[in-house]
Parts: sequence; C-alpha cells; structure tokens
Amino acid sequence: MLILGIETSTGQSSVALVGTDGVVASASLGVARRHGEFVAPAVQFCLRQAGVGADRVTGVTVGLGPGLYTGLRVGIATAQAFAAARDLPVVGMSGLDVLAFQVRHVRRLIAAVIDARRGELFWALYRAVPGGVQRQTDLRVGTAEQLAAELEATGEECLVIGDGLSRATHELDRVGIETFAAVPDAAHLAELARPRFEREETQRPADLLPIYLRHADAKIGWEARGRMQGGAAT
Amino acid sequence: MLVLGIETSCDETAVGIVEDRFTLRANVIASQVELHAPYGGVVPEVAARAHLEALLPTIDHALVEAGCGLSDMDAIAVTSGPGLIGALLVGVSAAKGLALAHDKPLIGVNHLRAHVEVAQLEFGELQPPLAALVVSGGHTSIVALEKVGSGGESGDDGRFRQLGATIDDAAGEAFDKIARFIGLGYPGGPEIDRLARQGDPKAIDFPRAMLHEPGYDMSLSGLKTAVIRYLRRLEAAGTEPDLADVAASFQEAIVDVQVVKTLRAARDEGLERVVLAGGVAANTRLRARFAEACEREGLGLVVPSIPLCTDNGAMVAASGANLLAAGTLADLELGVDPNLPLAG
Ligand SMILES: [Zn+2]
Repeated sequence: MLILGIETSTGQSSVALVGTDGVVASASLGVARRHGEFVAPAVQFCLRQAGVGADRVTGVTVGLGPGLYTGLRVGIATAQAFAAARDLPVVGMSGLDVLAFQVRHVRRLIAAVIDARRGELFWALYRAVPGGVQRQTDLRVGTAEQLAAELEATGEECLVIGDGLSRATHELDRVGIETFAAVPDAAHLAELARPRFEREETQRPADLLPIYLRHADAKIGWEARGRMQGGAAT
Repeated sequence: MLVLGIETSCDETAVGIVEDRFTLRANVIASQVELHAPYGGVVPEVAARAHLEALLPTIDHALVEAGCGLSDMDAIAVTSGPGLIGALLVGVSAAKGLALAHDKPLIGVNHLRAHVEVAQLEFGELQPPLAALVVSGGHTSIVALEKVGSGGESGDDGRFRQLGATIDDAAGEAFDKIARFIGLGYPGGPEIDRLARQGDPKAIDFPRAMLHEPGYDMSLSGLKTAVIRYLRRLEAAGTEPDLADVAASFQEAIVDVQVVKTLRAARDEGLERVVLAGGVAANTRLRARFAEACEREGLGLVVPSIPLCTDNGAMVAASGANLLAAGTLADLELGVDPNLPLAG
C-alpha cells in the first residue's frame, strides 16, 4: 500500500507518500499562498524521493477543508485528476479531523481550528477515543469570541490546536484555554486515511468536493473583470 | 499525435481532444451559464466551484467521444491565462494531476491565441499574413500574424503582434450590460443578436468612438453610456422605446467599429486575410458585415463555426498541439496569469 496525501487547506500546503510502515517521503510549503505552483512538483518530488513511478501509488487522500478555497481547489483538483487518471480509490478528510488526530493522546476536550479569514475561524470539537479521535460537533464558522464562548460553556478543560490562532489568542487566554499552533499535515492525513483504504471505505475521485461552510460571494466585479481580461494594449 | 485540452478560464468547463494538430476528435462543454444568469454576469467564486464539480465528468465524456484513454494522449494542454484566477487554477491543477499520473508533457496555453488557432481545425494551417479580431466578453483586440506558419513555428512567442484593442469595455461586456439594462436575459450577446433582427440598424445614430482616429484602438464604454442615456431620455418623456431598434442600432455601432478598425489594420499592414475569433464572433451581424466588407476589399475571411468561436476545449487542444509540435512545453510549476496578454 502506498498512499499519496495532499493537504492544502491552510497557507502551508504539504504532500506525503505513506506506505505500510509509515512516511516514505514528504514535502511542505513554508510560504503561504503559492499552492498552485507547489502541489504538483511536490508530488513529483515525493515520488522521486521514494524511487517509484505514479503507477505504484495505490490510493489518494486529500484534505477537503474547511480552509482557503483557492488552495483547497488546487489540492482537490490535482488529487482528483491524478486518482481518476490511474483509476485509484480516494478518501477525502477534513483538515480539522487531521489536526485533532495530531493531538490524539491528549485527555482534554480538543478544539481544532483553521483560519477562515475575514476575521473568522473554522472549528470543531473532538474527544480522544481508542485509536484516534471522534468529532463531537458540526463544523462551525464564527468569530474568536464565539469559539471562546462555546469552549467556556462546556465547563471542561480544553486544548485548542490549529491555524490562525493569533487572532483568537486574546479571547482564549481570557478564558484560560491553552492553544497550540499547528496546521493539518499531509503525512498525518495519509496516516488517518490508511485504515479507510484497508477497509475499502473509499470514494470515487469525482465525489471529492471542498467543505465550504460559506456561500459563494456573489458579487460581480465588472470593473475588475474588464481590467483582468480586457485586451491589454501593450 | 493526440492532445487533450482543458479550458476553465471563465464560465465554461470544456475539454477537447485534437489529433495531429488539425483533426477534432472531441469537444465537450459543461456550461455554467445558468448558474451565473441570476447575477447578470460571471461570479468568480461560483465559477471556480462549478469548474471543480464539472471537470472530471467532462474529461471522461471527451475521452469517450474520442474513443481513447488518457494513456493514449501525447500531451495535456490547459489554459493558463488570461481569465479568472480561481477558475484557471482548477483547470491547471487538474491538468497537472493528469500529466503526473501518466508522465505526460504539460502545455500552458494562452486562451486568446487559442481562440485564433482553433480555426486550423476547420480551415487547416492559418495562412499569414493575417489580421485576427479576438472579440469576446473579456477581450477585444486586433492582432497580426505575420510569420510563415508551420508546425515548427506555431509556438513561437513572436508570432502574434498586437495592433489595437479596446481601451475600456470589451464588446461582449457591452452586450451584457445593455442586455441587462433593457431587461434581456444573460448572456446578452445572443439575446441582442436575436432582438436586433427585428429592428432597424439605422434607426438611432449611436456614437462610434475613435472611429476616425488613427490607429486600431477602440472605445466602447461611451456607446454603452449613450444607449442608456437615450433610453432614460425616452422614459422621462413618457415615450416607449422600440427595443428592437435600440438593439439593432447598438449592435450596428459595435460592429461598425470592429469592421472599420480591423479592415484598416489589415489594409495598412498589408495583411491578406481576416480571422474572426472569440465568443462575439458568433454574432450573426458581425459575421455578415465582415463577409461583405472583406469581399469588397478583396480580403480573405476565416470564420470558425459558432461552437468553435465560444469558449471550448478544442481550441486549447489545437493551440496545445501547435506548442507541442514546436517543443514549447511547460513544467509542473506552471502558474496561472489572469492578465496574460495576447501578444507582447
Ligand atoms: Zn474566450
């Protein structure tokens, strides 16, 4: 078994190849907002590091978000096309599930958080169970104040893990909640997905779609569009 | 030699397959027009979401139509600009996934050049020297194609030379805005075209900006404003406008500018024929007026059939095939350029 994992829901994309014995190769992008140029070369890099061709990959897993839409679509479109072209099974996972999985040994209530931009966060709450974590809530989108209030209302000790926490630090500190900065990572994603491939709980490539949690912003930028596509007279 | 072309720059998810540069094997389009119609224009986030949902089924459909598999392709071509950035990224990412999976060459295609080069599927090798008018919802430009065309030179970056362009609105954008203003559906081009057939193109004398100025640049925003002002004046006077006359006269003004500027460019630059390209080249009045004018001036005219004028995947495959023949390949770092110029 050789699983290709692609995770692009935050500014720090990553790609990993995971075999039966663990991570074979991985690559991650430190600089935000260049998913478009990073993902495919990173897949190629991992295949070369592992010394295998694309034909050796047995499954593809990809982060579905929530997260930054453009990045998510880059990861998902690449994963879908690669899997469809090789007729491979796929598994889509929420990056929030991956984040919580990264701290699965914690006994406290876990809140996994991803930056939603526009002053908001995406989150969900988890609890450790044998072999992993279990999601306790729906995926949410809201402000840091709303997250802090939700955690305070549980009356439990919590650990908040995730991305974009700088905008929530003040609110979470105020209610005495510990935070831990992290991004969902392709190697953990593939590790989390592996049992699903083993149990053949897989999807078809065309089934993979981002978790948006927000409606499309239906504003037409006529001016922007004219500038963008107008026959630049140079 | 088979090339698969992916087009996702605006509101059509399209895939084409071309064999040996000139033979169309498949041309499949999943249109999003209905998704954007309520907004009267293309909504970038809606477009990007829809491309991701439609792309794999469209690729499958094209492969079935061509009767071949991905492993039979010699290259994967994809529009890398100009266009909506989020929409472009879906196509480019998918193209990279396909290229990686079968270790095929990747080719980045210029959407505007592809609009011109698609003519080779119906008319064979483009015969320079020629003038091409690329006219659509996002672009309105006149370019010259001067070098002797051949497979080996088709990918040459110096092949197209920009002669003129709109300095404000694209023609298709003007059609959409006026259609919306007079209560027609979206997209506006076909609606105005239809309504204009019942009207008199000489009924109202709308302005033709920059028509007599030297050079080949155009301006269409003043025309749009004049139409709106005309309708408001009638409304204020309590007079019901004849919308068919308005549509016909507005369309005539746009067409006049395109014909005059393109033919002047062809004459001045010693270009022997004219190629019409892009979605607005589907306009029946534009096609008829160019046919008439080119005949009068002794110029050849190349007009692709309507399905090849509007955005499609075949044009990307055709342009990609030219680039493959020229050895102009992209690597997996291929980026998108929302402002990629036609020539320059
Ligand atoms: Zn176009």
